[in-house]
Amino acid sequence: MISQLFILSSKGDHLIYKDFRGEAGNDVINVFYEKVTALPGDQPPVVMSHRDLHFVHVRQGGLYWVATTTSAGSSPFTIIDFLNRLAALVTDYCGSLSEKSVQMNFALIYELLDEVVDYGYIQTTSSDVLKNFIQTEAVSSRPFSLFDLSNVGLFGAETQQSKVAPSSAATRPIQSSRDQGVFVDVIERLSVIIGSNGAVMKADVEGEIKVKCYMLNCSEMRIGLNEEFSIGRSTLRGYGAAVHVDECRFHQAVKLDEFDDHRILKLCPSQGEQTVMQYQLSDNLPSPPPFRLFPTIERDNRGRLLIYMKLRCDLPPKSAAINVSVSVPVPKGCVSLSQELSSPEQRCELKPQSRSLVWTVPRCSGGTQLSAVFKLDVPGLSSASMLEVGPVGLTFELPKLTSTGLQIRFLRLTPVQPGPSQRWVRYVTHSDSYIIRV
Amino acid sequence: MTDSKYFTTTKKGEIFELKAELNSDKKEKKKEAVKKVIASMTVGKDVSALFPDVVNCMQTDNLELKKLVYLYLMNYAKSQPDMAIMAVNTFVKDCEDPNPLIRALAVRTMGCIRVDKITEYLCEPLRKCLKDEDPYVRKTAAVCVAKLHDINAQLVEDQGFLDTLKDLISDSNPMVVANAVAALSEIAESHPNSNLMDLNPQTMNKLLTALNECTEWGQIFILDCLANYTPRDDRESQSICERVTPRLSHANSAVVLSAVKVLMKFMEMLPKDLDYYGTLLKKLAPPLVTLLSAEPELQYVALRNINLIVQRRPEILKHEMKVFYVKYNDPIYVKLEKLDIMIRLASQANIAQVLAELKEYATEVDVDFVRKAVRAIGRCAIKVEQSAERCVSTLLDLIQTKVNYVVQEAIVVIKDIFRKYPNKYESVIATLCENLDSLDEPEARAAMIWIVGEYAERIDNADELLESFLEGFHDESTQVQLQLLTAIVKLFLKKPTETQELVQQVLSLATQDSDNPDLRDRGYIYWRLLSTDPVAAKEVVLAEKPLISEETDLIEPTLLEELICHIGTLASVYHKPPSAFVEGNHGVQHKGLPGSAGSAESESPDAVSAGAATEAPAAVIPSQGDLLGDLLNLDLTPPATTGPLPHSGGMQMGAMDLLGGGLDSLMGAGFGAPPAAMPPAFSAPVSGSLYDLFDLDNGVGMPLGSFCPPKTVWLPAMKAKGLEISGTFVRHAGVIQMEMTITNKAMSVMTGFAIQFNRNSFGLAPAGPIQVPSPLSPNQNIEVSLPLNTVGPVMKMEPLNNLQVKKTLVVFLFRQVFLATWKDIPNENESQFQIKDCHLNSDAASNKLQSINIFTIAERTVDGQDMLYQSMKLTNGIWALAELKVQAGNPNYTVSLKCRAPEVSQCVFQSYEAVLKN
Repeated sequence: MISQLFILSSKGDHLIYKDFRGEAGNDVINVFYEKVTALPGDQPPVVMSHRDLHFVHVRQGGLYWVATTTSAGSSPFTIIDFLNRLAALVTDYCGSLSEKSVQMNFALIYELLDEVVDYGYIQTTSSDVLKNFIQTEAVSSRPFSLFDLSNVGLFGAETQQSKVAPSSAATRPIQSSRDQGVFVDVIERLSVIIGSNGAVMKADVEGEIKVKCYMLNCSEMRIGLNEEFSIGRSTLRGYGAAVHVDECRFHQAVKLDEFDDHRILKLCPSQGEQTVMQYQLSDNLPSPPPFRLFPTIERDNRGRLLIYMKLRCDLPPKSAAINVSVSVPVPKGCVSLSQELSSPEQRCELKPQSRSLVWTVPRCSGGTQLSAVFKLDVPGLSSASMLEVGPVGLTFELPKLTSTGLQIRFLRLTPVQPGPSQRWVRYVTHSDSYIIRV
Repeated sequence: MTDSKYFTTTKKGEIFELKAELNSDKKEKKKEAVKKVIASMTVGKDVSALFPDVVNCMQTDNLELKKLVYLYLMNYAKSQPDMAIMAVNTFVKDCEDPNPLIRALAVRTMGCIRVDKITEYLCEPLRKCLKDEDPYVRKTAAVCVAKLHDINAQLVEDQGFLDTLKDLISDSNPMVVANAVAALSEIAESHPNSNLMDLNPQTMNKLLTALNECTEWGQIFILDCLANYTPRDDRESQSICERVTPRLSHANSAVVLSAVKVLMKFMEMLPKDLDYYGTLLKKLAPPLVTLLSAEPELQYVALRNINLIVQRRPEILKHEMKVFYVKYNDPIYVKLEKLDIMIRLASQANIAQVLAELKEYATEVDVDFVRKAVRAIGRCAIKVEQSAERCVSTLLDLIQTKVNYVVQEAIVVIKDIFRKYPNKYESVIATLCENLDSLDEPEARAAMIWIVGEYAERIDNADELLESFLEGFHDESTQVQLQLLTAIVKLFLKKPTETQELVQQVLSLATQDSDNPDLRDRGYIYWRLLSTDPVAAKEVVLAEKPLISEETDLIEPTLLEELICHIGTLASVYHKPPSAFVEGNHGVQHKGLPGSAGSAESESPDAVSAGAATEAPAAVIPSQGDLLGDLLNLDLTPPATTGPLPHSGGMQMGAMDLLGGGLDSLMGAGFGAPPAAMPPAFSAPVSGSLYDLFDLDNGVGMPLGSFCPPKTVWLPAMKAKGLEISGTFVRHAGVIQMEMTITNKAMSVMTGFAIQFNRNSFGLAPAGPIQVPSPLSPNQNIEVSLPLNTVGPVMKMEPLNNLQVKKTLVVFLFRQVFLATWKDIPNENESQFQIKDCHLNSDAASNKLQSINIFTIAERTVDGQDMLYQSMKLTNGIWALAELKVQAGNPNYTVSLKCRAPEVSQCVFQSYEAVLKN
């Protein structure tokens, strides 16, 4: 049972405070803020207690979302899940999530809270149900900017306007339904560990299909996945090119009667964002991991540490990875760095506080190979400190690509929507934890 | 125009301005003003002065404005109760509104106004709303009953709202059901004796049906409620499991975790050889794995829970080691938790994999994590014997890196490995000694010194090494000083000729120049020992040390069981029972896992674990939990300060308090006329001190032939180099005796028997030395009977390992006392047991029980059932009261036990069963 709920800005300002059960005063807000800011790094921040009161919080949009509870029976799991959901709801209703948008829409958020939680019991978080009760209009926080030219083509020309949705299209309040649209995102997170011998020790994908819907009069949406999509090890269909996942979970609103035969997800989308399907795959990735790294570490005759790195991108030639960042732990006491990089847009930086050097590559297309040499000055370099050059971590983004090969064949809305296409499908793979051991 | 401007008005006279605006005629202006008021309220400004003006805005048909006003009311009504009455009329009127939204809003808000005077006005509207045609209003009303109950519980009972609420469980709308369940569960928690949440198969069925249709949050309420149900048999338990299992694939992970809790609990009931049991185990793994793909906060909570599950049923996740591999971007608290689970899952099959992972972790950047990883390698070595060698070589590799903290941590764990596998890996000592100079942390220094002292005979320059430490003796931390003192004494005993000077030096440093009493005392002991009897000193200082075992970091079984019942709740995150962090007034219920079904199953480990406190033979698990479960477990290891002893002391105090409270009036009335139930044997002088009154043990003769529990094997030959001891405790003429059969199953003769009782909660101690005619030749056995008394905590030392005592002793209770006490003991401490197949009538049962000093205080017959009220007292002052239900012709007896210390109920019950069946 939730006793109180409050939202704080990152500076500790009270944005929203709601007491559901009258069990404690609002002075606990300051107690919480003191506790959370004084927390040492290795302490789990999830549950903190103050006398009888237990704080559970999450951080979303730079804000603290905090719930307190006094009863031992309440589940922090439920509360965290709920807080995340609440943040998503507020995002749906206010368009975006920031200190400003929460401040501007406090009346709306109070109204939401009233419906969502009663006496600490969570009632509902479905925007479908809530739209019957919510009266307050959202105030949009999009700032006017002279530089926001996303909607204007060169000299006012209509360049690709029909192909690309404006960047702000997916961040507006669900209530303002002037222009409608459906956004389907297939997001995958890749975690890979490659051993020092080059063997892939672990390769997991966690994926989800998210639907963000601004349609008012859409009664049914049908999402067609690859027909050869299979779940679990036993149900492989045909042979070879099947798209395969180990485990699949669906939103409870999804009807699966056509899923077994035609791989079609049927749902009647409620407004706002929801995760329609989550899936995961471990170890049997259909394609090789996107990056390989070939490092050589040696000591030159002037006592410097030399690191040669060859980074090979194994993506298909037409695809590319963006925002690639390679982080290499370096020995303690490393004072300076000089580097030779293969192109000018690449960067390299030494970060002494995290004892690592970070090599960033804005774009790396499939089939290419990049190399770099780093020379590090380490006073008192010993053979042991060579061992401190630890596992290399990569972060990157693969737009328009799914590592499982999952594709959306079609997206049909009933009744058929008039006007130009308002259906957008986006694919992206993020690196979650991509480690190459050296 | 945005709302943010409300936050920026800070002028003087602001309240005044707002007042004017609130009284404006324009609706828009009013609304803006109320918004400003609420904005000020949020940031903590006191706007209570505006109360009448805001309440005036309440009469409006604008729903948005109405909601804002209600928001204000909820906040300030408490501070202005008289004014709040002004609002009542509007509320009552709103409850009749044709718009269900307004009806619900009114009921919801009224419940939140925590003013006593309002509650009476609330009853009528609430009664109507509970029967409203609109489910939205009904579900709001259901919650409102819980709110009202919190303010005025009596009123709710008098008005019959509880029954209406119970009816709502059968409502057609699942949302209403969920809220009714939530409200009832909470009310039931504060009324432990009511049968509000009377779960029977019919209601279960309703709940399970509603489960499929509810919102995700409603499902959580219902699942949590299901978890409190105890199925009648394994069939029912299986069918519930079958209906709950689909929840495991729910997208909301809180639902998944609640379902896991239900399944983990009901699984206890299922026989292990059932196919379904295996299927269920398999089904549990994937959802648990999926929980780990959530945000770090959720991951952490999930991992804490998985940690418990893995300890209880490692088989569920034994193939899923990989998912616990640490990701480099995991927050440190997630990493540490994963590491812990990896060790728990480590087995011979996967140890190579695990070690390779751990070695990688040991080269990471984060110092804390690296340390824990190195520790983990040591734990692996101790847990999986086959891997010890590989672990040691891994550790040596790590020492070669010369990374300071890695080396130190490695040395600390190698010390533990030496303790576990003595005389096996001493070849590495040379490598360790090379790193002597780089150690700067006390723990590592102490570990290294211990190693040097322990293996002094194999290290040529041990004296030089220790001497080097001695130079800065006073700058060292206490830990190191103590270790250094011991190490040098060891060295001296091993190489007396060369090290006389050194030992003199350290003894004088410790005794003369130190202000630390621990150090000084230890110094003096060694000094005297060495000067009086060097041979004895050798035996004491160089004695064989008990091996350490991997169980040290396991959660104590009874605590684990309780925590399993609390999966998903705060208790599972803190790994503490709810009673440890919640004040009593919230009604903490002790939960236990149900026993396995059928007597045929009673041999399975699970059934035993229910009574683990008394049954677990010679467990090496140190009592690190603070439960009383170990109360009856006489463990040879010296009790840790957090162990059961201080706790049992507290329990005794509790019992004393109880007597004080319950008996004061009785004492005042004088003892002139002892109640009829007092047996004639009771002639002990009533000295006025209550304690004496109940300490009657010796004043009472033994009636009838005393019952003697059969002997059980306390110490199997395997564990004690061939010495087997089986024994029991009996009471002859008021003297407790320990009867033992000692058997020599070894090949050689045994001599020199002595016995020592560890300090135990009963204060049992031998009254005389043990009489064993030595030598005891191979395969000879001998009966020994040792009189005991209960005077004191004594400590000596001898071969007898862990005994357990199950002992009930005499006490007489007067009927009034019995009743008072019975009432005084909170209901959650009551436990019920069934004794099956017992063919005695109540008189015979009563006589039998008397033979083990359980006395019948009163007897009555209700509906053909004989109710016997009985009492007993353990020697440590813990009382247990029992109600024994005997029905003529029915071989099953029901025992309800009430006790201040619910943990002993299980053992008391077992004595009951043993006696009645004999």
